[in-house]
Amino acid sequence: MLDKIQHILIALLGGISVTISVTLGALIIAVLLGLLLGVVRSFTKWKLLRFTIDVYVELFRNIPALAILFIIYFGLGSVGLRLGSVTAAILGLGLIGGAVLCDVFRAGFSALHSGQREAAIAIGMTPYQTIRLILAPQAIRIALPPLGNYAIQLLKDTSIASAIAAPEIMFFARTLVTSTFETTLIYICAAGIYLLLSLPLFRAIQSIEKRFGVGR
Amino acid sequence: MIEFLEVYVKYGSQWFPRMADAALVSASLAFAGFIVAFAIGLMLSIFQRSPLRLLRFVATIYVVVFRGIPLLAILFLLYFGLPGIGVTMSAFTASAVGLGLSFGAQMAEVFRAGLEAIHRGQREAAIAVGMTPLQAFRFVTLPQAVRIISPSMLVTFIVLLKDSSLCALITVNELMLEGRALATEYFLPLNIFVAIGVFYFLIAWPLSLLARTMDARIRAKQTRTL
Repeated sequence: MLDKIQHILIALLGGISVTISVTLGALIIAVLLGLLLGVVRSFTKWKLLRFTIDVYVELFRNIPALAILFIIYFGLGSVGLRLGSVTAAILGLGLIGGAVLCDVFRAGFSALHSGQREAAIAIGMTPYQTIRLILAPQAIRIALPPLGNYAIQLLKDTSIASAIAAPEIMFFARTLVTSTFETTLIYICAAGIYLLLSLPLFRAIQSIEKRFGVGR
Repeated sequence: MIEFLEVYVKYGSQWFPRMADAALVSASLAFAGFIVAFAIGLMLSIFQRSPLRLLRFVATIYVVVFRGIPLLAILFLLYFGLPGIGVTMSAFTASAVGLGLSFGAQMAEVFRAGLEAIHRGQREAAIAVGMTPLQAFRFVTLPQAVRIISPSMLVTFIVLLKDSSLCALITVNELMLEGRALATEYFLPLNIFVAIGVFYFLIAWPLSLLARTMDARIRAKQTRTL
């Protein structure tokens, strides 16, 4: 029994690097895109730009990740825009994350008192300086706990990439099932690996929440 | 672009009925999963407030475990894994149970937030007028909590509906699987998966708007009563 588990775990570990790189890749795209969209949406005066961002956010928040990955991987592939499965997964999950985090950062900015902005302008800062030096640092701090929850969700969602044959943990599990038939044990091991990967994230979020005193 | 849209004019009448039927399966799957999630979430939130340490411990472990495991792993385990130890379920049942188990942990958090928002004086007053603790929970605390959390419950339902697309991978004949079947039949994956995305969007978006309106209304009421 232990032998089998060891064998399965070693086989599944082959997928960990892809799981982690999809998670990190998508997280980087999501944070940069979400911050950009969130700042622009909160401060721009152009109605058209605000409307475009709203459409983007609503689309990506109300369509399942699996549908978006299929559109990018199978759909765009069929019209000549062929991406690798890992690239497609990073791009798809990152674009969705951008929409999720846009809302998160927007909520952060709107939680700030208007006096912060007025005071910064009053001491002679430009609007750009105000956002970069005064508002953004505070808004990001408020956004940290939901950002952490998003990261955990993202780690789990990378398993969806197995449906477009990205060689991550779940994909290795599915392949292993067809060769060994230890179905129950394999999926329990896969679930266990995800759990072990997410536990440090849970811890990190808890300590961030404590440190920055959420709820102020 | 014009070519892209022409495809829909040409095949729309063949695709639409099949997608609509499959969308109904998705919707009923989401409802079934949500009912299970609701029951588990409510039970866990009661466990979390129990004076018994063991029950609180069980609830904590449940939430940590099921928040850390991907839905896909749970679905595969239930549908492909359990038959290995003698438990066989239909794909639909396995999906409803899997969605319920996974989202039960999220619903527990939703309930907890709602119950914590009710002032403890409410419960104390109910007990003072002679209600048992169970009655106080059932008739005083819970109804108020449910009203506060109704927008978050709706949001959870929307996420569950979107995630029900994963059940295609364990052969539930819902929207996403129909999309894959159509894609292999017609060789037009871009058109078909975009149409599938639109279907999900048309179900989920009105619900998202409703959740936002409900949330705004509840917040407005709270600031008024303060």
